Amino acid sequence: MIRILVAAAIAVMGLASAALPAAAQEVARVRDGVKIVPGQTRIMIIQPNIKVGSMSTGGLFEPNAEWTATARGLIDGQVRQQLGTMGVKLAETPAGDEAGAAIASQYRALFPVVAKAVMEFQFFLGNRLPTKKRPGVFDYTLGKDIARMPGAADADYALFLFSEDAYGSAGRKAAQLLMAGLFGVAIAPGVHVGYAGLVDLKTGDLVWLNADPQMGGDVREADGAVKRVGQLLANFPGTAPAPAATAK
Amino acid sequence: MRRITSFARRALLATTLVATAAAGQTAPPIPAWGGALQPQDRDERGLWMMSSDDEAVLKDSRFLITDKPLNDYVRGVLCRTVGAERCGAVRLYIMRVPAFNASMSPNGMMQLWSGALLRMRTEAELAAVLGHEFAHYERRHSLAGFKQARAATDAAIWASFIPIAGLALSLGALQGFFLYNQAQEKEADLNGFSFVMQGGYRTGAFADVWERLIAEEDAGRVARGQKARGGRRSGFFATHPASAERMTYLRALARQAGDTADASTASHRAGLGPWYARFLDDQLKLNDFGGTEWLLADFARTEGWTGALLAARGDLYRLRGQAGDMAQAAGFYREALAKGHDDPETRRGLGLALLRQGQQAEGQAMLKAYLDLRPDANDAAMLRMMAGLPPKTATGPTT
Repeated sequence: MIRILVAAAIAVMGLASAALPAAAQEVARVRDGVKIVPGQTRIMIIQPNIKVGSMSTGGLFEPNAEWTATARGLIDGQVRQQLGTMGVKLAETPAGDEAGAAIASQYRALFPVVAKAVMEFQFFLGNRLPTKKRPGVFDYTLGKDIARMPGAADADYALFLFSEDAYGSAGRKAAQLLMAGLFGVAIAPGVHVGYAGLVDLKTGDLVWLNADPQMGGDVREADGAVKRVGQLLANFPGTAPAPAATAK
Repeated sequence: MRRITSFARRALLATTLVATAAAGQTAPPIPAWGGALQPQDRDERGLWMMSSDDEAVLKDSRFLITDKPLNDYVRGVLCRTVGAERCGAVRLYIMRVPAFNASMSPNGMMQLWSGALLRMRTEAELAAVLGHEFAHYERRHSLAGFKQARAATDAAIWASFIPIAGLALSLGALQGFFLYNQAQEKEADLNGFSFVMQGGYRTGAFADVWERLIAEEDAGRVARGQKARGGRRSGFFATHPASAERMTYLRALARQAGDTADASTASHRAGLGPWYARFLDDQLKLNDFGGTEWLLADFARTEGWTGALLAARGDLYRLRGQAGDMAQAAGFYREALAKGHDDPETRRGLGLALLRQGQQAEGQAMLKAYLDLRPDANDAAMLRMMAGLPPKTATGPTT
């Protein structure tokens, strides 16, 4: 009952609370035949979607502009550095004219929709759609019109990143301990989610998605950002054998 | 973000609040203007960041209407209402969404939906809506509402540790948040009223808006076989006072103020220009027969049954397509044509309505007349077939 109440309180305020990490969840997948060739493959980084705040005692997300600005700077720097270490060539991400910016905006909105569909209907084993059960199948696309995005002609892939953190306030942590201790009820002490994906700029195909629901690393600090970006870019195609690849 | 209506109102635990009349209430004075707002504390900076992210997305939205004459008209009404200085703090976004709503973000981003523009009969009514939204901004309602929501959910979670009584206390804390939100809406109504007076607009306009919205909502409900509510319903989770309550206190204020000033009816329709017909067409597609029928009759009360309104009514009946609707639709289309309404789409509608009634020859003649005027219509190929015309291009096998 208490959980329902709290959930209702949060849902009514229109703010999502983090679901507890699902067991038996796949975290990454690479489309067959995708290779990152060091010194050759060009990647365009799409402005990441990053939000940082805290979680109030009652579970409300409290946006924090300072933390978010810090995290945006740190993550951007780390992504560039770590991709560089992998030998990836970074392509320009031009803003484009008004029409071009509008197209880019549409794809920034479309990517999370596709990524969430993958997480829900393919990565989550208990909920896998029948058409996604064939071994080796990883078949999602944003459509080939993505080639109209500014800068698409001069890059092979676009990298999309999403990261959201809500650090539990002191009150939230106290409530969590009390809930667990008194009633054995688990409430989320905070939210730390992130995912990253690579999209082929010629075909629009999603060639790689990495979505670990248990993100580590404090994005408000330099060291933490190194760890977080490392996790976001884990299983990057051509770097290390992805667990999903061995599973098929 | 503050909205003018509680759009998706859920009545999970419906309790009816008694509408209270505004006995002895007066319009608050307009405070001195301290310039465009800047975020003051951590919470406010956070809310501004979220609003700024939202705004970046909104700017590229396909629903954004960038047409300059329409934007100039609405901004002109806003500036006359709140004054030139305050007006400069607002970034206005007119969105093509066929429902009655407007909203205000803490950073000065104001959204107005096209469904609101369609429903306003006068410039004064538009002034009331814009004044209400501006009051949310000047009073920093988003920030106060956020703090209240946090306090309420915090209280709710601590109360939930108390056995049995905790449930009631939690619900009480949450309801406190909704009542607070309603109080903010009322404050924005009253402040908005002061702006309408300052702009020299007819003060009864805001009450008129609610009166008509109540009637429209009820007409829609009755047509769907539901009970009319008379705008009295306000649920446990209602973020806004009941429409009837808002109408009552705004009407009382207007009576006190004398309510004689200019409503500017003609200038509103002129301000909408060609968008009026487009917004009307959007409304027809909502599949709200009762509400739309009421709305069309309401427009006809002011301007009479014009050709455009008759053609729209024909579309409404044809799209519903129940027994007898096609005959009614054909009648409305014919009246529209008789009044000299020369939109080719009227002939298309009449042709389709006649064919559905089995009046083959006349229906096909109408579709041919339409195709002469619009040979490149999206569905020209299908219409040619229905009109008994040969396909326009050879469809033989390609080599």
